Amino acid sequence: MQKPNAIEVSGLTKKFGELAAVNDVSFTVTEGEFFGFLGPNGAGKTTLIRVLTTLIKPTSGKAVVSCCDVSEKPDSVRQRIGVVPQAMTSDMDLTGYENMDIYGRFYSIPKKERKEKTKYLLDLVGLTSRAGDLVATYSGGMKRRLEIARALVHTPDILFLDEPTIGLDPQSRRVVWEFLEKFRRKDSLTIMLSTHYMEEAESLCDRVAIIDAGKIIALDSPDNLKAQIPGNDIISLTLSDTSRLDEIKNILSGIQFVHKIKVDGETLRIYVDNGAQNLTSLIDAVKGAGGTVSSVGIHQQSLEDAFIHFTGKSIREEEAKKVSFLIGAGVPQKLGR
Amino acid sequence: MIKLLAVIERDIKKFWRNPVVIMISFVMPLLYLVILGNSFQGKFKGLPVAVVNRDSGTYSNRVIENLRALEAGPKTISMFQLNDEGRAVEGVRDGRYKAALIIPPDFSKRVVLDKKPEVGLFIDNTDNISAETIRNAVGGTINFIRQQYVPVRERPGEIFTRNIDLYSMVDYYQSLVPGVVIMAIFLGTMTAGVFNLVMDKFLGINESYLLTPLSRGTIVTGLIISGLTITTVTALTVFGVSMLITGIPFSRGLDQGISILIVVILTTLALLSMMFLFLGRAGHPRVVGLFSGFMNVIFFFPSGAVYPVESFPNWLKAFSKINPEAYAVHALKSILFKNAGLMIVFGDIMFLLGFTTLMMVLAIVTFKRTL
Ligand SMILES: Nc1ncnc2c1ncn2[C@@H]1O[C@H](COP(=O)(O)OP(=O)(O)O)[C@@H](O)[C@H]1O
Ligand SMILES: [Mg+2]
Repeated sequence: MQKPNAIEVSGLTKKFGELAAVNDVSFTVTEGEFFGFLGPNGAGKTTLIRVLTTLIKPTSGKAVVSCCDVSEKPDSVRQRIGVVPQAMTSDMDLTGYENMDIYGRFYSIPKKERKEKTKYLLDLVGLTSRAGDLVATYSGGMKRRLEIARALVHTPDILFLDEPTIGLDPQSRRVVWEFLEKFRRKDSLTIMLSTHYMEEAESLCDRVAIIDAGKIIALDSPDNLKAQIPGNDIISLTLSDTSRLDEIKNILSGIQFVHKIKVDGETLRIYVDNGAQNLTSLIDAVKGAGGTVSSVGIHQQSLEDAFIHFTGKSIREEEAKKVSFLIGAGVPQKLGR
Repeated sequence: MIKLLAVIERDIKKFWRNPVVIMISFVMPLLYLVILGNSFQGKFKGLPVAVVNRDSGTYSNRVIENLRALEAGPKTISMFQLNDEGRAVEGVRDGRYKAALIIPPDFSKRVVLDKKPEVGLFIDNTDNISAETIRNAVGGTINFIRQQYVPVRERPGEIFTRNIDLYSMVDYYQSLVPGVVIMAIFLGTMTAGVFNLVMDKFLGINESYLLTPLSRGTIVTGLIISGLTITTVTALTVFGVSMLITGIPFSRGLDQGISILIVVILTTLALLSMMFLFLGRAGHPRVVGLFSGFMNVIFFFPSGAVYPVESFPNWLKAFSKINPEAYAVHALKSILFKNAGLMIVFGDIMFLLGFTTLMMVLAIVTFKRTL
């Protein structure tokens, strides 16, 4: 059975002056799907999410989110979506509980229901014991968890998260991932997340759109994306002696399913299609050339490799660090990415 | 409604969690009163005044008695009784006296016959502030005569005289109180209302509520109401304390209190919504700081709080016609010093109401509901 669409975007463009931060983007997200946007800083992820969450008006194109067109009925859309913005947006001078409660009132949730929901969510994200403390005293991870809980207080159909784990240490990041998995299973929520962490996109998302310079370059499940790279498996063969290394390399290069070979001491890294199936014929070829294999390894290429394949560049961790330093309170909107 | 209350509560809670801001909001206007009051107040004691009484009737004696009381009580003047008008005026000219009061022989008679009694008041007008004080002080001593006007002889040129105050004596210190209250209100509108919006924008946390179904009307109105609550509390406190400091009697009880409250609330609303209109799109708190510093001077000094509107050149008078603070000062002065009821300040109240409505509508319409 075909599930209905939660988000339909067609020909969406957002320009800042001459710069098209989102450039003629089209895609659909089905209900209950976990959908990811993967792209480097400045790719247009935040801009796209802001357009979809009614914070910025699109220059052209159409976006239907949950029930309605974001340009025509922004208030109806707002009622049905929950958003965790990229920068922290909680009130530091209020407690965690107050943040949740006041937010709930912005959605006109009646008192009793609001209290129950707030309690339930704070418990879920493990903040019950700190609910009465000012948010100013929270750690980065706690603030992030609070924002996720806050975004869910009105039981939205769709949850948007803009780089939810940026600036978090690996442990807090893993905790956030666990919540997202949990929420998703519990409430059959549609989740749309943007990230520049491969791992995040790969482990969480049903489908990933690779976005660069405002355009979607590829869109598929992480596995399918990886499968699209030629030579998506790497076979490492370690030879017992390197005397016939050059000859072996030449012969292997001639094989049809081999795309590339790197030599690292006695080890050959061979980029191949369908590694598991082709492993034996590869070893036979080495033997045929007079070599002996002492050990064998096989591993899949990562989404990072897929990203490089599609965009021609890599997302570096360095870049991520630079940005996470900038993110947070005190960054004017105009500067915040 | 639940949304509006939430916006208000959020804002007020955040204010109360900020003790330094609270302190400053209360203390600064009072310091202002003390400093401004004292810096213009130095020469107000023992100003030498020559008095020549040519009349022997009861009314002139009453004037002299009142002057003695002034000399003994607030010590504003020191009285020197002379017989010779010429010497008295001479004394003003060479600086021995700050003023000379001449009571003509027919003074008491004219009072009795209701025939425009006159006194001559020759003032050393090179010293504006003390001249003003003497004019007020001496005016107060003649005030007991139930006469609408007690005109004085005018001699333009080196000696300047003018009509005498119609109302009971108000010293300069007291006359600053309405201005100080307006200042408290202005400070409040700088630190609440639109400032909080700009601050949220600057911190990037406005994104959180722009994502919710709050309408622009709710956001603007909510911030203005919370600003109103905070500012009214501070302004009334400042009002009460400065009345105590300067010794203004709270003579007309509840009625006066309510009049004051209404004027304070309307003034606050007028200023809050005006600031919202002008600064609703500002993105940096520094803009608010600079702009409101400028606005404070632009609106405060031509408001009549420090110097009377009547003394302004015409163009500045014209500006005071659209200056909400001028209406506020006029209303507060009337209520405090002229014992005026709400009806007398009806015009001021209507202006403030109209001004607020216009500014608020414009502020809501021009408010940008997106990032
Ligand atoms: N308010 C803005 N005004 C002008 N340019 C902007 C604005 N917001 C974003 N941009 C530009 O749009 C591009 C995409 O930015 P953004 O959506 O923040 O990327 P990402 O979230 O993927 O890092 C960048 O080149 C950025 O400089
Ligand atoms: Mg971003």
